Amino acid sequence: MAAKNRTVDPDVVQQKLAKLNLQLKELEGQMEKATDPRKRRKLIAKITAVEEKIKQAKTGERMTRQQRRDLIAYSFIAPNFIGFAVFTLGPVIFAFILAFLEWDGNNPIQFVGISNFLDMAGNSRFIASFKNTIVYCIATVPLTLAAAIGLAVILNQKIKGRNFFRTVSFFPYVASLVAVAAVWNMLFSPAKSGPVNMLLYTIFKVPANELPKWAASPDWVMFTIVLFSVWKNMGYYMVIYLAGLQGINAELYEAASLDGAGTLQKFRYITWPQLQPTTFFVTIILTINCFKVYDIVYMLAGGSNGVLSESAIVLVYHIYEEAFRNWNLGYASAVAMVLFLLVLAVTLIQFRGEKKYAN
Amino acid sequence: MKKKFLGLTLAASMAAASLAGCGGSADTAATAADSEETAAVEAGDGAEETAAAEAASSEEVTLKWSVWDISLTTYYEPLIEAFEAAHPGVTVEMIDLGSSDYQTVLATELTGSGSDFDVVCVKDVPGYTTLVNKGVLEPLDDLIAQDGIDLSMYGGITDQVKVDDKLYELPFRSDFWVLFYNKDIFDAAGVEYPTNDMTFEEYDALARSVANTEPGQEVYGAHYHTWRSAVQLFGILDGKNSIVGGNYDFTKPYYEMVLKEQQDGVCQDYATLKTSSLHYSGAFSQGNVAMMNMGSWFIPTLIEKISAGEYTECTNWGIAKYPHAEGVEPGSTLATITSLAIPTSAPNKDLAWEFVKFVTGEEGAEIIASTGSIPATMNDDIAAMVASVEGFPGDEASREALQTANLYLEMPVHAKSSEIETILNEAHDGIMTESITIDEGIAQMNEKVGALLAE
Amino acid sequence: MRTKSQNRKIAKAILYVVLLFIAFLMLVPFAWMLSSSLKLDKDVFIVPIQWIPENPQWSNYVKIWTKIPLAKFVLNTAKLTIIVTLLQLFTSSFAAYAFAKLNFRHKNTLFLAYVATIAVPWQVYMVPQFMMMRSFGLNDTHLAIICLQAFSAFGVFMMRQFYQGIPDELCEAARIDGMSEYQIYGRIMLPLSKPALSTLTIFTFVNTWNDFLGPLIYLKTESKKTLQIGLRMFIGQNSSEYGLIMAASVLSLLPVLIVFLSLQKYFVEGIAATGVKG
Repeated sequence: MAAKNRTVDPDVVQQKLAKLNLQLKELEGQMEKATDPRKRRKLIAKITAVEEKIKQAKTGERMTRQQRRDLIAYSFIAPNFIGFAVFTLGPVIFAFILAFLEWDGNNPIQFVGISNFLDMAGNSRFIASFKNTIVYCIATVPLTLAAAIGLAVILNQKIKGRNFFRTVSFFPYVASLVAVAAVWNMLFSPAKSGPVNMLLYTIFKVPANELPKWAASPDWVMFTIVLFSVWKNMGYYMVIYLAGLQGINAELYEAASLDGAGTLQKFRYITWPQLQPTTFFVTIILTINCFKVYDIVYMLAGGSNGVLSESAIVLVYHIYEEAFRNWNLGYASAVAMVLFLLVLAVTLIQFRGEKKYAN
Repeated sequence: MKKKFLGLTLAASMAAASLAGCGGSADTAATAADSEETAAVEAGDGAEETAAAEAASSEEVTLKWSVWDISLTTYYEPLIEAFEAAHPGVTVEMIDLGSSDYQTVLATELTGSGSDFDVVCVKDVPGYTTLVNKGVLEPLDDLIAQDGIDLSMYGGITDQVKVDDKLYELPFRSDFWVLFYNKDIFDAAGVEYPTNDMTFEEYDALARSVANTEPGQEVYGAHYHTWRSAVQLFGILDGKNSIVGGNYDFTKPYYEMVLKEQQDGVCQDYATLKTSSLHYSGAFSQGNVAMMNMGSWFIPTLIEKISAGEYTECTNWGIAKYPHAEGVEPGSTLATITSLAIPTSAPNKDLAWEFVKFVTGEEGAEIIASTGSIPATMNDDIAAMVASVEGFPGDEASREALQTANLYLEMPVHAKSSEIETILNEAHDGIMTESITIDEGIAQMNEKVGALLAE
Repeated sequence: MRTKSQNRKIAKAILYVVLLFIAFLMLVPFAWMLSSSLKLDKDVFIVPIQWIPENPQWSNYVKIWTKIPLAKFVLNTAKLTIIVTLLQLFTSSFAAYAFAKLNFRHKNTLFLAYVATIAVPWQVYMVPQFMMMRSFGLNDTHLAIICLQAFSAFGVFMMRQFYQGIPDELCEAARIDGMSEYQIYGRIMLPLSKPALSTLTIFTFVNTWNDFLGPLIYLKTESKKTLQIGLRMFIGQNSSEYGLIMAASVLSLLPVLIVFLSLQKYFVEGIAATGVKG
């Protein structure tokens, strides 16, 4: 970023400087009167900016330091951002505009205002999917989080076969969903002779006519899906937690041991607080992924024609069926908007939480 | 908080604005970037439209045809070979869009402009309705009138797929449902084979007479695949009821029959079949299913798998006509058609029409029949051709079962067919897993479809 | 003292029992998969389950290569996965550095754009995206899949999260030493971020390898298709050939497993106390 001196008309520079100095004075005057801390902060930022400009005018450099910094930063971001903006952000924003339109992909687009959103209220499949998605999230997030952190803490100890156990826990996550879902459906077969039902019958003495029908029963289908999700995904989050655990300074534990802290105390006072950033990250990703659940439900409860009933339908599936079966692209986008707002709310809450921990 | 929200909405709206600009320019840029291709296509368009129809000139033309399951379908190749032989300089290129998501992928392909398919297969009626509603298919009526094509050879089925009195597809396959049965099981039980003239009561009694509920040596008298068509649509065969009519009381006797069979172990449990996603061919090939109602598309599969030595437990099979309600003509059954259509964006429309005419006409029908599949133009000669395919059951009754009386589409053309489909599936699921009673299920269908139709 | 060490032994024993139980739960489905892959189709669903097939059908593993062009599919998938993973690693860590350690105008706005899109399911913008890609002439090309996958918001988000854990003082010190930002990124940040990079590698690799809907919509020519579509195609066409399906599934699992195993070892070694705070 070569900042060359320019040959500029000194009069122009003087004029500019005078103007800037005037601005600076005015801002400083406001500053003295301002009491609201937020307002003060804003003013300080403005003053700094003007000061930068004065400096620039004096030295005659082409760019201020801040501008140069900006350029460097943008050069870091650009390779990813250009691809991201073209291939993801653009279509996403287009999809959001679609929420206020009516379009099937071919016929002329019509503006319909918020009627897509009003339609949702009367659509029983939307209401069911909204409810199911929330239920699924509330059940899956804490369970997965607990399982993942527990596993990570255990597998971070010096135990025999650690690598084996780590690999095994990660196995379900990498496996192709098509294959493992088929296996699960077999193990949790609704027949009375299904392997899991046999186990319940012979060992836990559950009466034969009370054996659950798992994914085939409206009362059990969500439970089955949650169970499967936790099983399939906890390895993924365990890996993130492991990375986090590796970052905790071992001296902290040594010091705690000297103070006579037990395992639980160490977890409570060292591990858990130290893992806050990781937990923040995991919770966001996990919640978002839960809101976006689709393929698991589809594979477990879809049956041979791939149609989900109201006891199992989730938001993304509803979006999918409206978009690709009925080609109501506008309505589907509107539902997506609802989903987006849900996730955004969670993210913002989490962001605030993060700020608190950081301070 | 507030500030962040503001910032976000601002960012979003800014980005939106820039996208709006972007979208516009992207389109133009794309046309510019693609100009080479478009130009080529357009040039082709102009030239072919005039030339191709008159004579398949020396110019090289490629027709793009969307299909599914190339490796499993035996008639694509001979059809193409015969067509190419009659039209020198023309190559037909198949694009396999996969079978399970075929209609989804096809509809995505044809969305917007820029698709270069000349001819597309249409797999089912809801998919057809979707494409017609999207306005991406060419109406064929003028072409049909111009070339004097006699639609009566399709046995009235084309009337059922007219939308607003216009026809957008011509069928080349018309599968209908029959009763597949395993002769060995009937022989072992010492029971007569199913006949081509059975009422539902007789059918039910027959299924019960061969069933064996002894654990470990189960024999199922009947098998119903998890599709709703396999049970619900028994009710429309009398021609008095419609599956899109909004009243489903007529399905009750059939649900009662099948549920009773399920409870008595005469057929396999729906819930188990559903979660294990057991394919109907898997069920039948295990050799413990006496009768299974299924579409005639299963005939070539059975023949092929048996001759390849893969199915060993059901080699002695036969087919019979669908059972019928009291007072209904035997041979009334469900039909599923597979059709060809021409997209509005097709680069070589005239040649595409030649191809459609060829495949859906006599010549195409003979080629299709010779592979054991049922073409849409059915007459005695073609039925004889199907029955003479090696591996087809040799008995007279099975040949006769190929003669149909009244054909009813599994799903008729209806603007809301895919929404109705969803409601019916849900109720079917509930009834068959016994999580709701039959009456509740029917009430649910009546109410929801009624509400949908009233919209 | 003795009771304490005894207690510890008992605790360890319980730990191992729990671990073994978890391992069992994790592995049962895979054992089933493996055992089914060696069975005849008709024996797969027979209850009680026969865990070790009497008459193992090794031929399933031979047949699957000829039934579908598996080698071609594997090659395509490997090519796509490697390119996407490399691009993702490079561009994400680059961008994440700026978001974590530099101050610049519109930083929060740009970052929120990333976070916001994480929340949008792909199904929502699949159609506009497809139409755009097609107008770029990318329909039925591998480039489309690369563009689709390589610039995910997730990578940037994850890497930023990690870089934020690295003390700012490290960068400040380097700046005082006269290093440019690029040098700081290359010489200080990258070596420090090996754990995060390997985690991101695993995730990207797995996602791209197992992606289904993307290739399904974009790739039509048989010779360009990927393993997952090939598998699904095969299942669709031969839905009752469970033995072969399972054999193919086992094969499709291996590469991901290998990547994980090799990186996991690195994971354990590489994250020594380098001042990294998760």
